[in-house]
Parts: sequence; structure tokens; C-alpha cells
Amino acid sequence: MSSGARLRIVGGAVYDPANGVDGEVRDVCIEGGRIVAQVGADAPRLDAAGMIVMPGGVDIHAHIVGASVNQARRLLPEEHARDVAPRPTLDDPTEPARSGTGGTVPSTFTTGYRYAGLGYTTVMDAAIAPSQARHAHAELDDTPIVDAGFFALLGNDEYLVRLLAAGDGARARDYAAWLLGAVGGFAVKIVNPGGIARWKTGGRNVTGIDDQLGSSHVTPRLILETLADAADALALPHPVHVHCNNLGQPGNAATTLDTMRALAGRRAHLTHLQFHSYGGGQGKGWRSAAREVIEHVNAHAELSVDVGQVMLGPATTLTADAPVEYLLHASSGRKWTNVDVELESGCGIVPYTYRERAAVAALQWAVGLELFLLAKDPWRAVLSTDHPNGGSFLAYPELIRLLMDRAYRDERLRRVNPRLLAGSVLLDGLGREYSLSEVAIITRAAPAKLLGLRHKGHLGVGADADVTIYSRDADIAKMFATPRYVLKGGTLVVVEGHLRRAPRGCRIHVRPPYDRAVSKDLKAYFDRYATVSFENFPVRGLVDAPVEAQ
Amino acid sequence: MSAPPQRTEHVTCLGCGCACDDITVVTGTAMILDAENSCRLGRAWFGDGVVPAVIRSRGRAVAVETALADAAALLAAARRSLVFLAGDISCETQRVAIAIADRLGAVVHSPTSEIVASVLAAQRRGRATATLAEIRLRAGLVVWWGVDPNERYPRFVSRYLAAVDGAPPRCGIAVDLGARRGPADADERLAVPPTAEVAALGAMRGAVLGHDPRGTVPAPAVILARRLAEAPYTALVHDAEPVGPSADPDRNDALIALAQALNGPSRCALLSLRGGGNRSGADAVLTWQTGFPVAVDFSRGYPCYRPRDDPATLLARREVDAALVVGAPDTVPRAVAQALGQVPTVAIGPRASTAAFGAAIAVDTGVAGIHEPGTAFRMDDVPLPLSAPLAGPLTALAAMHALADRLAEP
Repeated sequence: MSSGARLRIVGGAVYDPANGVDGEVRDVCIEGGRIVAQVGADAPRLDAAGMIVMPGGVDIHAHIVGASVNQARRLLPEEHARDVAPRPTLDDPTEPARSGTGGTVPSTFTTGYRYAGLGYTTVMDAAIAPSQARHAHAELDDTPIVDAGFFALLGNDEYLVRLLAAGDGARARDYAAWLLGAVGGFAVKIVNPGGIARWKTGGRNVTGIDDQLGSSHVTPRLILETLADAADALALPHPVHVHCNNLGQPGNAATTLDTMRALAGRRAHLTHLQFHSYGGGQGKGWRSAAREVIEHVNAHAELSVDVGQVMLGPATTLTADAPVEYLLHASSGRKWTNVDVELESGCGIVPYTYRERAAVAALQWAVGLELFLLAKDPWRAVLSTDHPNGGSFLAYPELIRLLMDRAYRDERLRRVNPRLLAGSVLLDGLGREYSLSEVAIITRAAPAKLLGLRHKGHLGVGADADVTIYSRDADIAKMFATPRYVLKGGTLVVVEGHLRRAPRGCRIHVRPPYDRAVSKDLKAYFDRYATVSFENFPVRGLVDAPVEAQ
Repeated sequence: MSAPPQRTEHVTCLGCGCACDDITVVTGTAMILDAENSCRLGRAWFGDGVVPAVIRSRGRAVAVETALADAAALLAAARRSLVFLAGDISCETQRVAIAIADRLGAVVHSPTSEIVASVLAAQRRGRATATLAEIRLRAGLVVWWGVDPNERYPRFVSRYLAAVDGAPPRCGIAVDLGARRGPADADERLAVPPTAEVAALGAMRGAVLGHDPRGTVPAPAVILARRLAEAPYTALVHDAEPVGPSADPDRNDALIALAQALNGPSRCALLSLRGGGNRSGADAVLTWQTGFPVAVDFSRGYPCYRPRDDPATLLARREVDAALVVGAPDTVPRAVAQALGQVPTVAIGPRASTAAFGAAIAVDTGVAGIHEPGTAFRMDDVPLPLSAPLAGPLTALAAMHALADRLAEP
């Protein structure tokens, strides 16, 4: 079926929470790659009787392309040798059918195929250094099927810090707008604001949001406030996407709460909240602080989060938060890559395994589940594993089972190291089980809404015809791991569980307006500090139209 | 009356891995008159921009369609092909070449196959490094570990270590390893016998980690290690593609380990200098498409990593019975070029028709960055746009797309 063709999906139980549809048996009609109200009686039919129909999955936060991901791939030949992906046999010989390798950081074609095979049709890469955007776009060109974009790293940017130090934060809005347009990015990403800059100047890290950077008055708080205000003023589809300071440290919940209070009244998305929700402290050990953190989120409608669940098993920790990766390398002895990136950001990589008998890993696993189970509004607390940091995106079905099946969750809980779980609400018999509708919210409807992607995450008229159809199965993980059919933009890409088509995905990006006066100052900055010409910095030639401001 | 010269600014040079993107190319009628800002390597790389436009199949001049049909037939009939990613092609062309290798079940190599020991070391340990703007702004101590950048990277110092506001005063220390000497104008220098290089690096690492140095290591190296550990940010620079006598293969591990250890008390970036022609791009593209940066064998229908199979040996043993060289033949390592004469070869790229290995089918194309646009990677993996200041023959990208289409025909 081509993207222009018509199709009637008949008789499935439709879960479309954005449109208030909760398991009703109804038809879904498709024409021209979009959902339509009706198609003619002669339109082809896809029998979904007894099946579950949802919008295609939307991943709000993963690391799938770009320089850092590619550094991780280089570091993992053993993983790739263990998980090979032969070339698929596609229906259309004009589409590239490519082999690849998997593991926690798959090659590009395999990434696209496996996301589609999981029923996901939209993915956001969460961290691209602006100077390496050209690389990210090239990889996305080789990542088929999924529509994708990326967030541009700005929280440790030398030019931004200089603006703030000079008291010229008002210009940050124009800088952010220029930058997003120049690199073809979608949102502003802040990773450990100020902490990476300190790591690169010979220090270790910041300790809280009021640490001063060098002798200036610039603090993580100022960076957060400035960029959140900029994103709001630009009416970007997605607000600032914040990775807080002190990731992975005991006691970091205090910093996370400080960050949320600093952002009060502004739209903000806090990412992989699990990694920022620990009590205790240096010398005081670890405990869960999930309840304190998520209760603040519950009470503040302007905030949203993704959880960043740790899945017990192999992972690759891969982040711009380079000082954290140094600590992980030093404590684990595992191999380690660090790249200080072009006066913009950092990159740290350490392969890692979360073992169920390791106390801290067990605590991290429990904290993530607590956040999910204590979140009051699934529209503001969505699913992620911070792929591949907490585990691969291929672990999402297992995570969904943990959320939907209390007995299974409790059985897994009995197997993990309990040493740091005293006080965990999981041990209190937290009985919540997610419904299918709630799963549809946290895996597609809410991520699309939080990203501001109006054509994604729902099956209303005019939506992109990205549809995933599951055969019911008592094993929830199996059901979500192997959708029966997946349509992307109206094209059947997965049929009976097999990949059949691999069309190119669209690029999701923004091009906000800005005061052209910023260019003059930027040109002077580039001439002085950058090693890439100002004129060569912008990425040109994106063929997909930018997403409009909200 | 001839047209006035045209000036194209901000052109990226692939004469070496520095990939300077501040070149102004001045062109006259169908040739380059000048490449302003470029160094001697850059001037040689741009040259006059005049390249042959020969298309030949088995000794006869043919139409491009014929050559590509012959090439597709030759490659499709082969039991196992070698696809060699030579220099002076864009990442876009590399992507198509690897797609062809995937389809053919071929084995892919590139100039990086010559330095596979350093690749394997980085895969065992990781690495601590930085891009060039970071090093320029932050590194107060620069250690030239047996390399003089002026030889193979002439603008490295003037462009990437130039004084900028906010950078610390810089001290350059040359470590001379026998004939491999650091720059003559280094602020300080010390000599380490080549036979003691790995031991010296190990002792330096030990000193950084607080272990007592042992053995016959020169004391100055240990003193240097302590200085590095006390400096806020240092750069340890070596040539990833050293010329001359073979170095101890363990040096790669030792350099990486020292740089990583220095990030305990201090900050240190290990910078591995690479040559030109977009060889870093070949590593990057191969990695994102297959998961491996070099030496990828598709013969099983998926990528297998064969880092210990060097392409010259594969050719000599007839483990491949055809070859596709994509890129400029003069960038193919000598041993590989000599061995290529033993199997029928398709050459597509700049000056393919002049290949010393005598390709059975040759399709001359333009040079990426001179005649055709695209993307290339600097030695520090920063991607840069390539421009096309001069009109040229068929582009390598178009030729490779056409070949891929031919091979896709049922």
C-alpha cells in the first residue's frame, strides 16, 4: 500500500486517548497518508477484529544518532558482533534494504527498522551538539521509517555563557532561535547547566543550581531561567528539555526540586527524572526520593517529565554530562570515552550493566517505577528509558508489563537487591496497574502533545496515519514487542510482524524568527573562537517544512 | 574576452585532516587560479583543478552507461569483492559505496585499515579527547608526542593553536622519539628512546596515578607527567598515521591510558592527527551504517568485523576476486595498490583512469570539495560542508548512485 492509498482498518478496539476513545470498536480510515473521517466502500480493508489499535508510538527522549552515539557505536564492537541484523526482504526493491547491527546502540538502518518493528513511528534524539548537527542529519537520512528530530544542546554553550556574563541575557532568545534554525533542531536542550562548562575548564562539576561559573555571576539557575524564558517567548512547540544538575548522585532530589522551583511559572520538561530522584547524600548513602519529586510535579501543571526507567540488564551510558561519566568510569573501571565538544558541550560514554543484585541498580529500577506509579497525570509523566542509558528502547514492552501487571512487578521486586529499598513505596504494596489507555497516553498521546506535534499521537481526522495494531496476548510484553501491523504515514511497514516497507522518515525541526542583529555579534564570536566558519555552520537543504510555533 | 576570476569563500580543504574551511578559491575559465589561505599541502590538493574525464572499460573509451553496466556485471559476477573507500570523496558518496558493499556481500576497507591497531586500542579502552576549538581555548600545555605538525599538518598550529582571548599562556613540549621528533620551535623538549616509548608512557601513567615509577624510564618523562597532572588542561598530540619505522603497537594503548589517567587529577585531551581526503568521514559513515569503523565484511549478509584482515593480504590470497575502488587512486595505500593489480578492478573517482593499478573499468569523476559538494569530517570528527568552486566532470556521487541502480536491477 502506498502513502497515497486508501485503507479502512476494520473492527479493532481503538485506544486514542487524545480523542477520548478508550477501547471502542470502530473503524479507522486512511487516505493520502492521513487519518480521514471516511473512505469509500471500495477502499481496501484491513481486518483488525479482536485486535488493539493505537496511534504509532512517539519517543520523546532517546539517543539514536549523532557524534556521541557514533562514538558509542565505535566503542561496542563486541555488542554488535553478538547482535547482527541481516538485510530484510522488502516489498519495494527501490527502498534500501540494509543490514546492520544492534546491541544497545544499533546502527542507523537497524534503529529505524527496530523502532518500526516495535510500533514506534516518531523519535526525538535528545542531545545534539550544534556543531555536529550536520552529522546527526546525515545519520537521520540513513534511519528509515521513523519521523525524527533532535534537541540542540545549549546549557553549557560558550557564547550563551558569555552573553549571560555580560548581562545580555535578553539576546539569548534570538540566539536560541538562530541556532535552532541554523542546525535544523527542534527544541532547546539543557544538560547539567554549567556543569559541563566547569568540567571543561579543569574543574569537576557544579554541586547545585547556585554555583557560580568562574568569577562570573552566571549560575545554573540563570542558564535555566534564561533558556526557559527564551523557549516560551519563541512559543517553541516543545519547552526547554532539562537534564538537571547532579545526575546519578545520592541526595540529588534536592537539586531537582530546586530546579523545578527555579522554573516556576515557566513551561519545562524535566527528562529522565529517575536519575534525579535520589535521597541520602555523600556519606549518607542512597534512598528513594521519588515521592517528594513526583509530588512536586503532580502539583505543578506547567511541568512535564519522562521517567528514564532503568531496566535491569545491559545499557550504554551516553550523555553530554561528561563529568558524570568520568565518575562512572572511575568507580566501575569500565572503558570510557570523553569528548569535549567545540565550546558547546561534552560527551561521555561508559558501557554499563544494571544488575538486579546490585543495590544501587535495584534502587534506580525501583525509583523509576515509583515515579510512574505515583504520577497523577499520565499526560505529564511519560515513558522513556533514556535509551540507551537506562536500557534499550527494545525494553519498552517489558517496562509496560511492569506497569500493567502488579503480580509480575512484585515478583521482580522480590528478586532485586533490597538493601537500599527501605522506605520505597514499592515495598508498601503500591498496587496501581496501568490500563491500556494509560499506556497509550504515556507512549504516544502524551509525548506527542508535550512535543507539540499536532499530527502525531492520535487518530483524529487530519492526524498522520501512523498506526500500530497489536494482537491481544496475555503476555503484555510480548504483545507490545511484536505488533501485528504498523502503518507509517499510511504505508504498511510491518505486516504480520515482518518488516515489509522502509520509506524515509520526515525531519521534524523548527525555524523560529529572530532579530537579525544577533548575526553580526555571532559572526564576530565565530571569527574569534570557533574553528568552523560562521558561513559554514548552518545546515542547509532540509526538505521537510518546519513545525510551526505554538 | 575571458570572464573575470570568480572567488568562492569558505571552501573546505581536504589536503590534510585539518580540513581548514577558510579557503578562498579563485577560479578562471575551467581552472583554479589560487587557493588563498591554504598551506603548501592545500595548494597541492587544490592544484589547478583540472582533472581528466575519461570513461573506459577494458581499454576502450565508452559511454558512462556502458562503463557502469560493465562495472555492475563485473561486481555482480564476483564471488567476493573488496570495496575500498579511498580519499577525496564525500560522506554522501561513502554512504552509497557501503550500500553497494552491503548488497554485494563485499568486504569494505579504507586507509584506516593501515592503522587498525589504534582503532582496536580505542575500542578496548575508549579515549579522552576534544575537538579543536576546545584545545585551542583551554590547553596550556601541549605535548608533541613524536610529531612535528608542520610536516603533515602545516596549518595546525597557526589555525588550531592560535592565541585567543581567554586562553592560557601556552607551553609546547616536544617529546622526541628517535627520528620522530617534535617541532623544532617547541618551548621545551625531551628525548625518549623509541624502544622505551611504551615503558615511558606506562611510567608516566603510574606517576599520575601515584605509583612509583620503575625500570629504566628516563626521569624527565616522569617529571613531565607530574607537570601534566598539575596543569588545568593539557593536550597530548600524536600522529595517528606515523610515517617511517613501525612503532610499538602497544603505544596506542599506552597513550590512551595516560590521557585517561590525567583526567583524574586534571583534564587532558589526546588528539590523534589524521590525514586528508575525508578518511575520518569513512570511519564515521561505516560506523553508523554497520556498527564498525573499518574492515567490515558483508559476506554473511550482515556486517562482520574483520580488523585483522588487511586488504592487501585479502587481495594477495585471492580471498576477493574483484575490487571497487571509490575515490582517488593515489590515496590508496601502496601495498593495497600493488595488490589490486591481481584482480579485476572498477575504479570510480577523481583521476580513476590514471590509477597505477590499471583498473579494468575506470570512471573519472570530480573531486569532492573542488567539483562536487557534500560533507566531510575533520580529524576531530567535526563535520564540515564541502563546496564546489569549479565545474567538473561527472560527480562521484552520481556515478555511484547510477552503479547502485544498475546493481539493483533484477
